[in-house]
Amino acid sequence: MAHETEAPEKSTMWNPGRDAVHADHGAAEPEVLMEPMIWGLFSLGGFITAFLFPVTLFLLFFAAPLGLWPSDPGAFDALATRWADPLVRLFFLVLIGGSLFHGTHRLKFMLVDAGAKSPGVQGFFDVVLNGVAILGTLGALFYALSGWLI
Amino acid sequence: MGARLYPWKRPRGWWLRNPRYLGFQLRETGGVVSALYGLILLNMLRQLQVGESAYTAFLDLMRSPPVLFVNLVLFALVIYHAITWFILIGKAQPIRFTAKPIPWKTAFGVNLVLWLGVSGAVVYLIFGGF
Repeated sequence: MAHETEAPEKSTMWNPGRDAVHADHGAAEPEVLMEPMIWGLFSLGGFITAFLFPVTLFLLFFAAPLGLWPSDPGAFDALATRWADPLVRLFFLVLIGGSLFHGTHRLKFMLVDAGAKSPGVQGFFDVVLNGVAILGTLGALFYALSGWLI
Repeated sequence: MGARLYPWKRPRGWWLRNPRYLGFQLRETGGVVSALYGLILLNMLRQLQVGESAYTAFLDLMRSPPVLFVNLVLFALVIYHAITWFILIGKAQPIRFTAKPIPWKTAFGVNLVLWLGVSGAVVYLIFGGF
């Protein structure tokens, strides 16, 4: 389909007066890239954790030993059979990655609230905790692909 | 002489002084516990990969009475974290499908219904039903 274009000054969106004016253009702070991304992953992980974790933990660790379920969804045979389904592999990848990014970010700010406020210490937490989240997610990706694509 | 900054410091044990602060700390702890469970599930996948005896040993440990008890406490924190998350969605970011924002109690109710639906889907699609 042809896409019609018109001169910007003819568009109803055109309004040169809306251009941002920077009084201290030279002293502008550098653009922040990582922080919103980490916060975004934290928020996404919150949704994943809240919606998917309770039922998964219940079925794997509590349903059968407490006699609350007719079968044992966490048993080896049951889970190994379900593991053949790519959707199940994707589910555990998303669950593990989401929970790690959510929980490690939360832990960092609990530690900051507890008094670890110096930039050096916060940088250390960023490296270690984001490292755990990234490596853990890569580990889950490895298991999700293992025996299927690799 | 320039002005000096005196940043406010939280007194030690601040979160025990008010039930709301305690609730906040419990929900934060629930978030951290979810990361702990993420690592436990990662280990579960590893044992599943190793084979039946390794996986069964892992599952037996997770279901042994002392670990099961600790698990139940941690699970309660995860549930608390989930429910407070559903509550705060409508409060922290009021949803505007209508002229006025939807009341948080309505958003909470919708989230609970969605939660039940998603949980049912997980039972059938991921764990193969009953």
